[in-house]
Amino acid sequence: MSDGDAIASTGGLAKPRFPGPRRGRLATDLLSEHGGLLAALAALVAGSVIFAPHFASIANLLDILRQMAFTGIIGLGMTLVIIAGEIDISVGSAVAFTSALFGVVAVNLGWPFPIATGAVLAVATLIGLSAGAVRAFFGVPSFIVTLALFSALKGGALLLTDAIPIPILDDNFNWWGTGAFLGVPVPALILFILFAVFSVIANRTSFGRSVYTIGGNAEAAYLSGVPVAAVRTILFGLTGFLAGVSGLLQTSRLAAGNAGMGVGLEFAVITAVIVGGASLFGGKGSMLGTMLGGLFIAVLNNAMVLFGVNSYAQYVANGLVVLLAVLISTLRSQGGSAPGVLSSLKRRR
Amino acid sequence: MPNISPLAEARDFGQEASALTVRDCAKTYPGALALAGMDFSIAAGEVRALLGKNGAGKSTLVKIIAGVVRPDVGEIRMRGEIVHLTSPQIARDLGIGLVNQELAIVPELSVAENIYLGRWSQASGRRAFVTRSVLEQKAAAQLAELGVDLDPQAKAGRISIAHQQIVEIARALSFEPRVLILDEPTSSLPAAEVDHLLGMVKRLAARGVAIIYVSHRMDEIPKIAHSVTILRDGRHICTRPISELNTGEIVRLMTGGETPNFVHDSPSSSREVTLRVENISDEKLSNVSFELRQGEIVGLAGLLGSGRTRLLRTIYGLSRPAAGKILIMGHDGAPRSPAAAIAAGVGFAPEDRKREGLALNMSVSNNLVMSCPGKIRWAGFLSTRREEAVASKSIGRLSIKVADANRPVRALSGGNQQKVVLGKCLNAGVKILLLDEPTRGVDIEAKNQIYDLLHALAAEGVSVLVASSEVEELFVMCHRLLIMAQGRIVATKGINDTTLEEAMQLAMEGTSQ
Repeated sequence: MSDGDAIASTGGLAKPRFPGPRRGRLATDLLSEHGGLLAALAALVAGSVIFAPHFASIANLLDILRQMAFTGIIGLGMTLVIIAGEIDISVGSAVAFTSALFGVVAVNLGWPFPIATGAVLAVATLIGLSAGAVRAFFGVPSFIVTLALFSALKGGALLLTDAIPIPILDDNFNWWGTGAFLGVPVPALILFILFAVFSVIANRTSFGRSVYTIGGNAEAAYLSGVPVAAVRTILFGLTGFLAGVSGLLQTSRLAAGNAGMGVGLEFAVITAVIVGGASLFGGKGSMLGTMLGGLFIAVLNNAMVLFGVNSYAQYVANGLVVLLAVLISTLRSQGGSAPGVLSSLKRRR
Repeated sequence: MPNISPLAEARDFGQEASALTVRDCAKTYPGALALAGMDFSIAAGEVRALLGKNGAGKSTLVKIIAGVVRPDVGEIRMRGEIVHLTSPQIARDLGIGLVNQELAIVPELSVAENIYLGRWSQASGRRAFVTRSVLEQKAAAQLAELGVDLDPQAKAGRISIAHQQIVEIARALSFEPRVLILDEPTSSLPAAEVDHLLGMVKRLAARGVAIIYVSHRMDEIPKIAHSVTILRDGRHICTRPISELNTGEIVRLMTGGETPNFVHDSPSSSREVTLRVENISDEKLSNVSFELRQGEIVGLAGLLGSGRTRLLRTIYGLSRPAAGKILIMGHDGAPRSPAAAIAAGVGFAPEDRKREGLALNMSVSNNLVMSCPGKIRWAGFLSTRREEAVASKSIGRLSIKVADANRPVRALSGGNQQKVVLGKCLNAGVKILLLDEPTRGVDIEAKNQIYDLLHALAAEGVSVLVASSEVEELFVMCHRLLIMAQGRIVATKGINDTTLEEAMQLAMEGTSQ
């Protein structure tokens, strides 16, 4: 279109305002979008510091980070899946399958670790892509596709190992799950790196924008030329890959290829994403929110252990937290407080 | 097939007690007078065709009678008694049934269960349990009374659209109405099934039901209607026996004789053909052919269900024609997906912008760049600066009233939302623009801005194919009109060589038959 068109710009407002530069966004978002969660996290940390003497020790804090990493890594992909209005409940089984498969190829077959790692990650990604393709091209709801996958991968993991853990005792390999670099646990470092990568994917790539658009209105997205099927396929490839990464790190940490791993992990991951402000209806969510949600859950569980609360009660507490988080966000959007709604929408750019 | 005489038996309803009388009703919506001083009366057993252009007040009148909308003033009587139709339930209990053009069928339930939707236990005569056999017997009796051969056990999703329409009518009849309103009942029916429905309407009238029949298809109105009521600008213009009027007179009464007087300089016929449609046919279109030239604005006129929307969607690649060819910029083959259509230079603004056009919770800016990811990338990543540049250019060019481009598009008025949809297409750099009802729900100022925009685009060489149910606005916008009826193009008229009356008459008569 040429600029010299003859449209009389009657009534148009002078110049549309765009909010300030991108630089200040992280800080602004933290407060406007995640203020409630931050406040709850601060209160939780403060309470723990005061009442649980061991909480504030460096060792404990690093352990929290390590624990958080295993779910958080998958949470980054799950955030995109949920923003697109989909769900992936197969990731716990994918972790078990990855661990079992790695045990088989690295120990039983004796493949070199780097090759085994690459192969296992490739398989995990391919499985996710296949599930995504079934979702995207056959229109099967993602809950059903990943439910089938959940069962099949669990069974596959048990078949591969006969339910017997395969010990993997190799200092170099075990360093990835248990070691630290410059004092920071390696899994946490990997989480931080992936967080940076996925933040860029979500906010600065066409793919990320397409994910938000599909979650906002898939029909309009399709009619506007957004490659809906391809994006949906790739999304499940991403969660498959990340489940593979998390599975390998946990295998390294526990020094065994174990088909019993990852039980209930899918719900821990989804909990972190939802507590972080994503909407299961799609269109809404952020990497930063998921990180904070994951941190909140990790701190809560850690504090409960330190307080000597029955470990079964942790499940009850996690359930209440999810319900509370969703209730608050629902009330907030129903209340229609303009600033709240707007800030949640700004996030999508 | 029921046997239908060309003209319903001549009867004089003037002397009979009226089933329903509306007196001096008025309804005003904010900023618009929908109905003024409306008088309307219909006798038992009478079939009344209700006609009028878009915005003439038909749907307001129908909604008032069905209890959906309350009039500001006026009284409604049934058999002489004043009634207060404060809700659709009350209207239904008083004996008024409404069958909308949009079907409310639950496809997985049986025909019988659909007829007694939500009333299964009452209808089967039990307190808490549903007796399927009783339900099916009652449904069978109801359908037999309508003279329809339809299995009450059949799944409603598996039967034809005409039969689904009949299920809807049977549901309305199960409340034993004395007045039945049918709103464009044949608009979604294939031609072969129309007679079926008309036969049933006649039998209902013979049983004494007063029928208000909203339709503009002149091929069917004389077959069933005894009389015609014409509305214009929210007022009752006349009610006459159908035998006293022909299509030309009806159209004159509908339009009030006004002829929009716009002179458009059509682009020279030597300009390049951008879109060529050759003999495309499918279950809704038959043998459609036309050409669209660079810089030309062509209007698709036709009644509801005439195939306007289907044609646009077929060109955009959303349904594949069973036969025929579509050539875009001389290249053979309809696009296989919207992405391919956009890449080929075709843009589409759908009728339902909230469902199909916009991601309402996303920002104005995000929506404007939805179809042009390439324009806002820099070194492979999205550039905020580029997005802002593209968005603010669109906002300026289309006069979109928004203070902050990061506001959700949901917060905008209908007119401004429509401009965002158009901006989205234009940002993709399309050369052919397909518009379905581009001014629906749009205020008058935004309408004029959209007309101006289309003329400016045409001057730049963009080709526009626009469907509208407001024929007048096609006269404002277009160089040429394609008039459609029942899936065919029945006439092609240069805008300076035709009148509003002629165009409407052609659409209503569907003369290609």
